[in-house]
Amino acid sequence: MDKLLEVSNLDVKFRLDGGSIFDAVKGISFDIPRNATVALVGESGSGKSVSAMSIVRLLPAEQAIISPKSKISFNGTDLLTLPDADMRQIRGKDISVIFQEPMTSLNPVFTCGDQISEVLRLHMGMTPKQAWARAEELMNEVGIPNPKLRMQSYPHEMSGGQQQRVMIAMAIACEPKLLIADEPTTALDVTIQKQILDLIAKLQQSHHMSVLFITHDLAVVGEIADQVVVMQHGEIKESGEVRQIFEAPQHPYTKALLACRPNVESRPRRLPVIEDFMSEAGLRPEHHEQRRRGYEANDDIVLEVRNLSKLFQLKDGLFKKREVAAVKGASFKLARGKTLGLVGESGSGKTTVGLTLMRLHSASGGEVLFDGVDLLKLSEKEMMKYKRRIQIVFQNPYASLNPRFTVGQILLEPMKIHSIGKNEQERVQMAMALLKRVGMPEVSFYKYPHEFSGGQRQRIAIARCLTMKPDVLICDESVSALDVSVQAQVLNLLQDLQDEYRMSYIFISHDLAVVKYISDQVMVMSNGEVVEVANADDIYLNPQQEYTRKLLGSIPKGWDGAKAA
Amino acid sequence: MGAYVIRRIGQMVPTLAGVMLLIFVLFNTVGGDPALVLAGKITNKEQIENIRKQLGVDQPYHVQLGYFAFEVATGFTCTWRSFTAKPEAPKSDGKAEAKADPKVDAKADPKAAAKQAQPSGCQAVRSWATNEEVPMILATRIGPTLTIMIPVLVLETILAVLLAIGVAYLRGTLTDRMIMAICTVAMSISFLVYIIVAQYYFGFKWGMFPVQGWSDSFIKNLLTYAPLPIMLAIFVGLAPALRLYRSFFLDEINNDYVRTARAKGLSENKVMLKHVMRNAMIPIITNVGIALPSVFVGSFLLETFFSIPGLGREILVAVNRSDFPVIKAATIYLAILTMVINLAVDVLYKAIDPRVQFK
Amino acid sequence: MSAVMPTTSAAPLHQLSPGLWTLAWRRLRKDRVGMVSLVIVGFFLLLILGSYTGLVAKDWSKEVGVSYANPTFMAGAENLEAKQAGAKQTKSEVPYVDLSDIDPLAPKYEEWAKRTAEIKITEVQRAETLPFGGDKWGRDVIQKAIKGAETSIMVGLVAAFLATVIGTILGAISGYMGGRVGDFLEWFYNIFTSIPYILLILAFAAVFQSSPALAEYKGIPMVVAILAFTGWTGIYRLVRAEYIKHASREYVKAAQAIGASHSRRMFVHILPNVSHVCLVQLSQHVVQFIKAEVILSFLGLGVPVDSVSWGTMLAEAQSELVIGKWWQLVAASISMAVLVTAFSMLTDSLRDALDPKIK
Repeated sequence: MDKLLEVSNLDVKFRLDGGSIFDAVKGISFDIPRNATVALVGESGSGKSVSAMSIVRLLPAEQAIISPKSKISFNGTDLLTLPDADMRQIRGKDISVIFQEPMTSLNPVFTCGDQISEVLRLHMGMTPKQAWARAEELMNEVGIPNPKLRMQSYPHEMSGGQQQRVMIAMAIACEPKLLIADEPTTALDVTIQKQILDLIAKLQQSHHMSVLFITHDLAVVGEIADQVVVMQHGEIKESGEVRQIFEAPQHPYTKALLACRPNVESRPRRLPVIEDFMSEAGLRPEHHEQRRRGYEANDDIVLEVRNLSKLFQLKDGLFKKREVAAVKGASFKLARGKTLGLVGESGSGKTTVGLTLMRLHSASGGEVLFDGVDLLKLSEKEMMKYKRRIQIVFQNPYASLNPRFTVGQILLEPMKIHSIGKNEQERVQMAMALLKRVGMPEVSFYKYPHEFSGGQRQRIAIARCLTMKPDVLICDESVSALDVSVQAQVLNLLQDLQDEYRMSYIFISHDLAVVKYISDQVMVMSNGEVVEVANADDIYLNPQQEYTRKLLGSIPKGWDGAKAA
Repeated sequence: MGAYVIRRIGQMVPTLAGVMLLIFVLFNTVGGDPALVLAGKITNKEQIENIRKQLGVDQPYHVQLGYFAFEVATGFTCTWRSFTAKPEAPKSDGKAEAKADPKVDAKADPKAAAKQAQPSGCQAVRSWATNEEVPMILATRIGPTLTIMIPVLVLETILAVLLAIGVAYLRGTLTDRMIMAICTVAMSISFLVYIIVAQYYFGFKWGMFPVQGWSDSFIKNLLTYAPLPIMLAIFVGLAPALRLYRSFFLDEINNDYVRTARAKGLSENKVMLKHVMRNAMIPIITNVGIALPSVFVGSFLLETFFSIPGLGREILVAVNRSDFPVIKAATIYLAILTMVINLAVDVLYKAIDPRVQFK
Repeated sequence: MSAVMPTTSAAPLHQLSPGLWTLAWRRLRKDRVGMVSLVIVGFFLLLILGSYTGLVAKDWSKEVGVSYANPTFMAGAENLEAKQAGAKQTKSEVPYVDLSDIDPLAPKYEEWAKRTAEIKITEVQRAETLPFGGDKWGRDVIQKAIKGAETSIMVGLVAAFLATVIGTILGAISGYMGGRVGDFLEWFYNIFTSIPYILLILAFAAVFQSSPALAEYKGIPMVVAILAFTGWTGIYRLVRAEYIKHASREYVKAAQAIGASHSRRMFVHILPNVSHVCLVQLSQHVVQFIKAEVILSFLGLGVPVDSVSWGTMLAEAQSELVIGKWWQLVAASISMAVLVTAFSMLTDSLRDALDPKIK
């Protein structure tokens, strides 16, 4: 096949603060054929974005060192030795890029029309008028409604999906031969992600370009890529045709990546993790056996929420106040030892439900019955003894632990506040035992959060909740920020703890596959309203509402989706 | 936008009330009995009582506050006393006031007496030291101050922005670090030293500029008397402004949209001068907006050293003479001006930052 | 680091990992400019500690040399003033100083003249030269500069500390609580910031100077109070913004979820995470206040004339320069510039070391 881009021996090092050197990419080689989509897949720190940015030479010049042995040949020219001025001719014209965060990647003070036509004037030699007209056509092509009006809009006036469409319009404006898409859908909701993926696939065909698609999510790759390159720790673990990668993966890491991520089709008792593939023993029966889930008639209801609502007040105009309903009359039940999944897109109110029912936000109406007591009516003092019984694990593991506390202080604090344990000695013992339980070494007790990875921090956050032996644990997007392999470990931990302590979970997530995997019952929310509540299997096999069907239809299905198509 | 401006003006009322309260508390209670301050070396009890009456400080605090509020409301052009007084003002009061301050020029005395004898009506608040009408003092002093400070503000901003782009472009290089180090050292030397040395060499020793002085001709002032103070102010103000603006540029350079602009194939110059510049102008304009009100105070040091009859020098003189009415009026006027300028800057934002919404 | 053995015993192993402060200190240690600045600042602090306890510069007020004694390295220079001393006042030789009506020192001239005369009688043996020259009364300029450093740095440190405490407490309450309390504090803040900073200082100075109740605190305590009461606003704004940011962070929400009280969240959880901002601000304000003190003292609104600060030295130096006695100006300017430069660079290094972004 005719090669458009050949990367050989690419080696990138980073100079870190304090003089140390970090090997980001360790001599990798791969090709991009003409008119094809290559996916570069890897978890955080795998070097996938660094590799892509080396192609367009957009790495920070002060820190990045590209080895002289590296070669990136584009259409026969070596990009790494090209003079800056010639490189600029290629950037935006022959090779263009779209980034992860459309909001910050667009210049906030110029209109979308300005930003698209700028690149046309620069590379296509168009007059401002011609460029403007062409930009409008492009806006239309990428599916922005009412492009004439939208040309005058500033980026902040558009939704995330539309911003990304503007970025795409800008990228394809000069008919590039190669489009580099750096995690272009990661920041977007699942339904929007689907649209953007479809758009990129369509444009790839119609503009006869090659696409280098960078992602952490193998499931996304199946439907759009022709070839897949799997990276880990700056090295290529495996590369090949998409069919081969999905159907007959060779490298244990690829196998693990495929198996770690929960999918809608199956629900093993235990998710396999990378170690399972790397070790001699291989997968155990529990990785294949299916787990049955769902509420049953005789379930003991620990928490019942009736008509919960939350209004936020915004100032609007002169002395006026506008009320925005974040949650409109949500009702649901949580059974002991079971998991209720809460799914919805951003702005659906799912997080607000969690925060409101444990009174981190004040509710505007409704009841939260916990063992028959309405928590919303309790005074601050009466609430104290219920606080320890409902706990929460947040999304961002880097923000949810106080950076100035040692892990020991973090774990001891709730016990002190709630007078758990007879004395300090006993509390320290309990904390140590819990650390062990969540799979952390006891030395962690003396360390600070910044010494741990995201997954480890999430374990510490879980241990903090466990010190209070809560009946209900709210997991607010608790695994969303983690790499898939780590996500599987934390999901397994949560499952083990539920089996052991018979805790009930409210599992809030935008990721439908994860919710399906962990939940007994699923509640779908949209715009503050509950769309549908049903047992997990029922909702996935037999959705009753249009919105639910749309959500389910947007789940990336990986290779299965591609095969079906 | 109309609603926004109206609401902002509404919000100024409590702030202004607060400023009045602060000034009142400072000058009428913390500062001790104003009558004693005014009386100076007079120890005659009767006379002091008289002054107290004249000033209205024999009244309870809330009444005094009311008097003050009235003065503020009329822009210090009318005292409550003169507003309510019977046609003929008691003569003894005039005398007491005239005598009150030992520093009063002999010349001012007959003038004051003459004014006192005039038929009453609204009378402006007067300086304790010179008996001049306070609004008049401030109005006549603003001209020289602006003659110095407007060129300073304009030139300094332009120079600092240009230099800041330059050093931001060279960020991390030896030149950049050298310039920053020079700025830090330059900022560490007291303004006083710059003035003393410059005045000595440029004015006294080499005679390139007049050592000090001011005339009635605007052109002459601008061309002969103003240049040295203006250059000094720019020289001293440049280092901190350069450091600050450089940091604004550097903050912008690390943003994602800069990477996008480079990915489009724009040259580094275009990236800096179009994309980065436009965004960095937002904090720069804020900063100029913050500096604007102090333009009206002027650089009191420069005015003092170079004998420029401006507002800053006037206020400093008033402080040294404990001439409370002048300080009070200047403070209130400038507080109002500051609030108006802040509002204007916020409205201006809309023009440069499309993200700003008037809420 | 030694390996920590995992243990189930409750005996705490005090082998804590380095906290963020320790890491910041390690970063600072690697910063050569920062360390040099730290040494210089440390040297100055030791020096003023010495002068405070009387170990150094104890005799700064002793008139050990002839009037305007030459520096040792230019012993041969003619010293007309010393010859004329006592016979004639040098004041008249200052040609251009038209400050008579505003010169804060004016009333003091007579007193000084008298004192000079008295001393003339009791004088025993006076040195012709001093290491770095002498002032009008023959005091050693180096000792004066050290004593002046003590005053200026003390004022800067104490005032900055007070301003930081005020700003931090108010900012923490306003940012964390929000609502009515926050609105009230915002109102309070708006009052102070709607008056131009220079004017605010002068207004406070005017009132404090004339207040009979505060008369006994005149001098250093008063300068400290003026600077602290007017200088807290910048710190307030920053700390408030930090508190608003942190109050919505997940770790604070988590603390709320486990039942931590408001005060615990404010001071145990958030404060340590904001403290680096306070430290950098403290450091920045020391510099700012030292510069402000110098100007205030120069204008006669700061420390009293019978004590010495860099500001009063500059005030004397202004007229000395005209008669060619440059050493007092140089001594005060250089010592101040060295300290302020070092302090500013230390502040920059401190910010870099503490700022998690740099990591």
